[in-house]
Amino acid sequence: MRPLHLFVLCSALGLVACSPSDPRQSASASLANDMLLPAYQAWASASAQLPVSAQALCATPQPADNALPQARQDLQTAQRSWAALQPLQLGPLSEGNRAWQVQFWPDKKNLVRRQVENLIDQHPALSRAQLERASVVVQGLSAYEYLLFDSQLDLARPADRQRYCALLGHIAGHQQQLSAQILAELQGEQGFLKHLQQFPNTRFAEADEALAELLRAQVNGLDLLKKKLGTAIGKLSKGIPQPLQAEFWRSQASLDSLAAAVHSAEQLWQGQADQGIASLLDDTQQPLRQRIDQAYADIRQQLAALQQPLDKLLSNDAGRAQLDALYVSLDRLHRLQERDLAGALGIQLGFNAHDGD
Amino acid sequence: MQRRTLLGLAAGGMALGGLASWQWLGGQAPLLLSARDDSQGRHYAVGYRQDGRCQFATPVAERCHDIAVHPHLPLALFVGRRPSRASYLIDTRDGRLLQTLHSAAERHFQGHAVFHGAGEWLYSCENDTAQPGRGVIGCYRLAEGRLQRVGEHSSHGVGPHQLLWQNDGETLVIANGGIRTEADSRQAMNLDAMDASLVLLQRDGQLLSHERLADQQNSIRHLAVASDGTIVCGQQFMGAAEQAVPLLAIKRPGQLLRAFTIGEAQRQLMNQYTASLAIHDELRLLAVTAPRGGHCLLWDLDRETLRLSLPLADCAGITACTEGFLVSTGQGRCRLLDCRTPTPRVTPLSLPAGLWDNHWRSA
Repeated sequence: MRPLHLFVLCSALGLVACSPSDPRQSASASLANDMLLPAYQAWASASAQLPVSAQALCATPQPADNALPQARQDLQTAQRSWAALQPLQLGPLSEGNRAWQVQFWPDKKNLVRRQVENLIDQHPALSRAQLERASVVVQGLSAYEYLLFDSQLDLARPADRQRYCALLGHIAGHQQQLSAQILAELQGEQGFLKHLQQFPNTRFAEADEALAELLRAQVNGLDLLKKKLGTAIGKLSKGIPQPLQAEFWRSQASLDSLAAAVHSAEQLWQGQADQGIASLLDDTQQPLRQRIDQAYADIRQQLAALQQPLDKLLSNDAGRAQLDALYVSLDRLHRLQERDLAGALGIQLGFNAHDGD
Repeated sequence: MQRRTLLGLAAGGMALGGLASWQWLGGQAPLLLSARDDSQGRHYAVGYRQDGRCQFATPVAERCHDIAVHPHLPLALFVGRRPSRASYLIDTRDGRLLQTLHSAAERHFQGHAVFHGAGEWLYSCENDTAQPGRGVIGCYRLAEGRLQRVGEHSSHGVGPHQLLWQNDGETLVIANGGIRTEADSRQAMNLDAMDASLVLLQRDGQLLSHERLADQQNSIRHLAVASDGTIVCGQQFMGAAEQAVPLLAIKRPGQLLRAFTIGEAQRQLMNQYTASLAIHDELRLLAVTAPRGGHCLLWDLDRETLRLSLPLADCAGITACTEGFLVSTGQGRCRLLDCRTPTPRVTPLSLPAGLWDNHWRSA
């Protein structure tokens, strides 16, 4: 098709952004290939490691000495790779309740512990099928963390392995399968990542719609980080800290997870070779770009300065002040991206999904 | 772009030549009414022709929700979104604001109203703020181009949201959401004691039937009524996100309210939240938007089998049209779903993208 004909077609449809050289299409395609794909691959790879170390830990008659530390380390790798997806939750991961199957948060009533114990009481010889039919509360990394890190459990003890190993193995298998399935749905000719590269397609009518999804995922991810930190530091409970409602509190991975998620959001902003969302701002919008760059830099510096785990920081005034300041910075970044950036790019992020009517 | 690429895209579901093929009797494209915001957050009552022409965009002080279209005059009431103190009577020819209808003392509009088929009366879902949550159907008479409140009925439930006419045109179908809210607040006050119900009410206020769903935290919000009297209601589940609860229910003529059959995958896609419902009477299709799940879903109304699962971010308003359905979104381009063939054909509309509110009405 000659360029003129393509232009006529685009104009007739009002699809002004369908030229292959369109910067929004280029940014969307680059972020799909250079950012989303590696992040999801890293998660699938980390999840695939869980059954290996779970099996080693549950070996009979006696696991190797390093089996429990290895299983814990593999969980923490999976937690970090999962946290990195928080600002990248779109397409297959955002649909069909799947994120809940990976992480149950917030857990205000210690449902993880109660439901894990109930499940095992009911099914001492738990099968994979029984886990698949059970609540998402017991299917994901939050339950896995309970098994490996809760202070009242110790899988170095034979009795605990006897009780919990079936669940450990099945959660590991479920996570491996789920992450592989989502990765498969991202890839391929009909995969979600292809939908971020060429327009129109069955999902997006034009590049702006894909860009809106990317930006919405990033903004929602930042909002979720605010909620996670805000819940822990007491923003939702009259200033009274709630360290046991922080994500991954048992393994003290709350701040590591936060850092991984912020890093990922910044990558989406910057992109590879300056092909991220930032590249779409024109010369007159560079002050906004600098403000957002600075907001990310501030958060990075604040995170680097936190030398203790979240629960320790919450136990003293200086630590709480640091966390409060971090929350303020996250809030500033969230607002800059949701309001100023979306406005500058002429992107509507939608509101019906939050409408409540 | 190669020809085969174009063909592939069209076969994949997003049609490319749809705009050129549309023909309307009399040359005038259908008028679509909706509440809409601009990017600065200002609120409008808008009318757009389906071909993208703006008929009017009237600034209004409050965000509106649904639109009650007059059966034969060029009038529509843009109903304030709950909890609202104002609705707007608009001339749909030019967008002229004819009347700002203020809510009565200790009453709030809840976002939905309907004109009676004869055009003289309008009925509105309202909240009694003196006895918070007590549902009220406000009765208004249209005289000399103005609406005047002349009375009210009980909705026989808590927090009524949408109401529509049963196919006899005389019986109101009321979705009592079951959620108690206080004056000027959207905060749910009774999540542990919700009482949602589907009520059939004669126009004179006489209760005909009152039915509940199995799950106490399942809020009945929106409705669609077929020409044979089949009623479908869409729910928003207020309980735990991980709980599996049916989100659609159906009441066929002469039968009790029961769950509409949907697959577990579709239930999960809706993310515990349905927004708008529409029924296409000739094609016997049910359409539902689920903005939290980012999907628009279509089922065969009689067989209760899935016809289409369309990913569409922030999809909101949906209305039947000749070809099938028109669906709006708060985020991207609106779509025409041509359902006359076994595989629905999806075409982006040349309407402005994004910022469309929860409901769409054809005038």
